[in-house]
Amino acid sequence: MTHPVADGEWHRLYPATPFLRGGIVVIAIIGYLFVQFRDLFIGVFIGSVAGRGPSEDPFTRWLLEHAVLALVLVFAGLVLVIGFGWLSWRMHTYRVTDELIEEREGVIWRRHRRGRLDRVQGVDIVRPLFPRLFGAARLDISMAGSDGSIRLSYVASARADELRAGILAAASARRRSESEAGEVERNAVPGPLPRPDSAGPTSRLQGAIVARANEFLAPELREPVDAASLVTMHPGRLVGATALRFGALMLLALAGAIVAAFTRPGLLFVLVPILIAVYGIATREVLRSLQYSIAATPDGIRVGYGLLSTTNETLPPGRVHAIELSQPLFWRPFGWWRVRINRASSLARDGGTSIANTTILPVGTIEETLRVVGLVLPDWAEPTEFTVSPRRARWVRWFSWRRNGFAFDERTVVLRRGRFWRTLTVVPFARIQSVGVEDGPLARRLRLARVDVHTVAGVVRARVGALDAEDAVGLWRDIESRTLAALT
Amino acid sequence: MSELATAGQEWQRVSPLYVRVEMLTVAIPGLVVTGGVIAAPLGSGIAALWALPVAAFVIVVLLLVFTPRRVRSIGYQLREDDLVFRRGIMWHRVVAVPYGRMQLVDVNRGPIARAFGLAELKFVTAAVATGVVIPGLPEADAEALRDRLVALAESRRAAL
Repeated sequence: MTHPVADGEWHRLYPATPFLRGGIVVIAIIGYLFVQFRDLFIGVFIGSVAGRGPSEDPFTRWLLEHAVLALVLVFAGLVLVIGFGWLSWRMHTYRVTDELIEEREGVIWRRHRRGRLDRVQGVDIVRPLFPRLFGAARLDISMAGSDGSIRLSYVASARADELRAGILAAASARRRSESEAGEVERNAVPGPLPRPDSAGPTSRLQGAIVARANEFLAPELREPVDAASLVTMHPGRLVGATALRFGALMLLALAGAIVAAFTRPGLLFVLVPILIAVYGIATREVLRSLQYSIAATPDGIRVGYGLLSTTNETLPPGRVHAIELSQPLFWRPFGWWRVRINRASSLARDGGTSIANTTILPVGTIEETLRVVGLVLPDWAEPTEFTVSPRRARWVRWFSWRRNGFAFDERTVVLRRGRFWRTLTVVPFARIQSVGVEDGPLARRLRLARVDVHTVAGVVRARVGALDAEDAVGLWRDIESRTLAALT
Repeated sequence: MSELATAGQEWQRVSPLYVRVEMLTVAIPGLVVTGGVIAAPLGSGIAALWALPVAAFVIVVLLLVFTPRRVRSIGYQLREDDLVFRRGIMWHRVVAVPYGRMQLVDVNRGPIARAFGLAELKFVTAAVATGVVIPGLPEADAEALRDRLVALAESRRAAL
């Protein structure tokens, strides 16, 4: 199956790329220079202000004496920068074939990078605010293992959607033909391929402006019709949930600031920046999670985020290594949960814990949570029978020993932890890398042990402690034998 | 727990020579530190400061005393489909790694180990937490074991 994107031709990036990459810097430099030499400009163009002769500052005087030379220098600098930008744009090309995606760049130091399509872990489309205004988007193609990622910044918005569809179609086609075993959590929803939705060459300026405005106002319109979001997030809930999660911290900072304002105003210099930081983080979390959507497409699960700068990523089937459902204390009364995942992408490794890379549901009711988990693991249900810690574990798990435990189903191991801050970790056997069982001096006296399920690095750590030693060793054995069974 | 996890199985041990490697890697920095902190009482003339080098020396001796047991606690088994590794006397750790999950097998030689003709095998899976390193293998054994494991991993390779 060859997608039209996999044409094997070398393509260039979006023509405005050098400007978009350097744009903000250039504007900042121009702004800085303008502020610095405001007087000078006024002096040159309007005539020197009364009382301030042109000979005040030696540098200014020199500049005025050699105005032509200075202009030539500035012009030459501009030509050099623009020329280099143009050249690097000319030299930066990419192509997609049936098996590979390749990227070449660099003027003086050439770099050639290629990735195999069957190693693609996910394709994200990121539209930062500034490039988004110009109808450009960044394409992040994350690869498994040490291959690194291929980052195309920037391509035209419509082209980005087309590329993503093509790469994902090729990637899942290759994977499907390779192996079915172990792909238990494949969730290929039957349905038509997302139509490439190419806008066509809009030659008329008016058409282009209208298209841009549409893209900007309604990014979802660009998504295929069959990809209706499974969860609709009310902004109010997002604000409330974030406030509750950071609630204690926010209240503390606010109270501290108010008290300080009345007693020792000097402290405000410390507290106000803290206040701003805490509220800033909370606001950013909310802003980034607004317009959240999640949907099943034939190429995988599509998660979209963001109001001003948008991120839109697709997880190919079977690329989720661990799932964590968690419920902060103050979410209890509302029954809200958050869903985070581990996945084997290099972006997750160097991009750290950015929300879009790890959180597939920022906040949702239990039904929505299960629906999202069902996307990743079809027909998954929370096991009813958990093997929990023995009574003597109350010395190390004061409140949670009755809840702290594990359970199995045919495909996954489920670890449950926490009485107040509840988490439920689900790991498919087919994705487990190795498994360990550990104890220490104190645990050994209590005949307790801990099981650590090793998955790819990420925000989810699948381990459960304070289990009865015999249960723990049994769990360790069971996980290993089921992992081996899932491997073959 | 470790008795439970390992009951009725034969463990492969690391070379007895590895005890000396471990002892040297503990003793050399330990004695350097002890010698360093001797400067404190000698320089200041405060008698109470002699506690520092004495404490350092006692710690080094204790570490040395436990080294043979620590080394003896290291063991591994090559089972049909996976490798089981264990170590630790205070904090036990037993890890099972399916052959199909091994991505790389490294043979590393440190300067002290090399003097005794020993090498260590390091297993790399997609998970950082796996952390399985078998130290103290004779070089020839290490390489033979690596080749065997690579072949096993190759035959059981599975999608990530």
